[in-house]
Amino acid sequence: MAEGQWWAVALTEAVSSEKPLPVVCEGEELVLFRNAAGQAFALEDRCPHRRVPLSPGVLTPGGLQCPYHGWTFDGASGVCREIPNLHADERVPARHAAKAFLVAEADGFIHVWRGSGAPTGVLPSAAYRPAGREYSGSAVVNMAHCNYLETMLDGPECLLAFPCVTITDFFLGEPRRDDKHLVLDHGGVWKGKGIGPAFVRDHPLVLRTRVPLVGGAIFVELLTAAEVPLVTIFIASTANRRGTTSLNWRGFRHAHKIPSAPLAWQLRRAAGRAPFEVLAEVKGASIAALRVAPSLNLTSRTRHEAECRNPR
Amino acid sequence: MNDIAIAKAGAADGYENSRLADWVPIHFDLRDTWFPVAFSADIGTQAVRRIVHAQAYYLWRDRGRIRAAEFRPDQLEELRRSATAFTGGTGHYPVTERYGYVWAWYGNPDNADPALIPSIPFLPVDGSNIPRYTQRTVRFDAASPLSVENLIDLTHADFLHAKAIGDGRSESDIVEVQSTSETVTRTRIVTRKSVAPVMRWIGGVRAKYQDLRAVLHVHLRNNLAISYPSFSPGYAIPNVQPFVPVGRHRSRVDQTNYTVAAPAPFRWLMPRISYVIQPQDNAVLRPQNERYFDADRRRDLSSRFDAPGNRYRLVMRRLAERQRRGDFSYAADGDPSVDISAVLGMDG
Repeated sequence: MAEGQWWAVALTEAVSSEKPLPVVCEGEELVLFRNAAGQAFALEDRCPHRRVPLSPGVLTPGGLQCPYHGWTFDGASGVCREIPNLHADERVPARHAAKAFLVAEADGFIHVWRGSGAPTGVLPSAAYRPAGREYSGSAVVNMAHCNYLETMLDGPECLLAFPCVTITDFFLGEPRRDDKHLVLDHGGVWKGKGIGPAFVRDHPLVLRTRVPLVGGAIFVELLTAAEVPLVTIFIASTANRRGTTSLNWRGFRHAHKIPSAPLAWQLRRAAGRAPFEVLAEVKGASIAALRVAPSLNLTSRTRHEAECRNPR
Repeated sequence: MNDIAIAKAGAADGYENSRLADWVPIHFDLRDTWFPVAFSADIGTQAVRRIVHAQAYYLWRDRGRIRAAEFRPDQLEELRRSATAFTGGTGHYPVTERYGYVWAWYGNPDNADPALIPSIPFLPVDGSNIPRYTQRTVRFDAASPLSVENLIDLTHADFLHAKAIGDGRSESDIVEVQSTSETVTRTRIVTRKSVAPVMRWIGGVRAKYQDLRAVLHVHLRNNLAISYPSFSPGYAIPNVQPFVPVGRHRSRVDQTNYTVAAPAPFRWLMPRISYVIQPQDNAVLRPQNERYFDADRRRDLSSRFDAPGNRYRLVMRRLAERQRRGDFSYAADGDPSVDISAVLGMDG
């Protein structure tokens, strides 16, 4: 039985046939690139010859050429196709290969399969169905992955911003299990409308975060109280090195017009301004002050407990 | 007594676990050797601090005489009680000058014999008349043995440094490697190679092709690399590259590119090529360093071009193993002071 999973590790437009892209997935360094036909590949970012990163190398018709000695590796198999200076009658041993990963490209993301055996399950981005203009980005945030996921439950307002919207720290109930995610709603209010979130009888907005129990696929929705979706975001997260977290995201504003929204929201919509921001810079003081609450349910995850005890 | 104290400090700390499995450059800490810790011309009455492995070496001149100590001269008396076995508790290292370098002993001071200073036959023994333009300092951001392996390695030069030193295309390219218990010697004989751009444009060699005989002689204990590349048409560009380990992750190299036989302006400019080459090497050495911290179950793959580097790994492991057992002596085949003129091919 296969053990492993798909990870969304890059935005599809970030991977080219011109320049290899180094990424980190669960602490493992990978390099992504395309061939001339546009097919995407992923190799371990480590030459098996002298262990230097392959990502500063150059792309050739034969694959990715290591910047140190020029060994060239096939994208699909990882097999070394060429060693410079070998005579024409010399062959590269078949066992000379870089570690290759299966790649799937869908929904605007490059996914890699990390694990043994044949891939199973759906891609992390499968539930993301954009409608309308997308806003995307990438960042490495200064937080461990397990802390990032916990914060997405306990205080998403520390990680996300929505112009014209204040996300409150009032949780609407308990996290509920939905397949491989924990789902939690936070109350939200329009900025500049009413006398402040402390005095609202019912929150006019809901921020719903779906935090993965396995993997790194985070879904965020900004909804009206009647559950009309305003904004949907998919954030692909994974552990980077030294206790940081890599993020790649796409999101969009739904077509619904909300009469109760403030004028600024309507104007931003008309101007095509981004309806959300995934914060690349998190405020340490805010994170530190955040009390553990719904993430209690998340830290029961064996893997995350282990990660938090042994941050990379 | 010094033997015991230094041996306990670890001839190759942490090496034991990896000696059979892999190449872990940061574990090498070979003792009883002279390190060229500074250019003689750089040392005056003001003390300068140099590092060999984890030991501090303060160097200065006292009425013209070279001195090396574990502490600053003004603190020497105060701190002498904490002097280590490397100075036999005196605080003063054995130190001498030769070939334009200050040589300081690293190991048991009882064994410090100036006769163990390596022979560098193309440099004046007393260091006189070595032009300052031949002397350059560069630093490498990796364990010293990793940097030495980079120097021994040939095919990376043809690839990584092709724009500066040529593309490695030739009619014939023969590489031989020999070793003793203390040295590795790599000889490369190339017939009709493309003339290096730097030699063509400023070195006065207008031919399209040239032959090359390049000998690299590496002393294992002190990472001293003595190189004698001789070009025809052209000239020899003998050089010395001592990779002095500054801790486990960096090395300092006080190079002497002895270009005095080359025409001007090449003789002045060529030593500065280090400033072009070094960043190129560092670009691979920096990320490479941390990937050799631990024995890796995945052994490095090699091609036949890696034979010299793999020999270096092997003899380094053997020497470290010998020192780990407490044997710091030089074997009969390993006299560093033996004349290597013939080995370098200086005669012909």
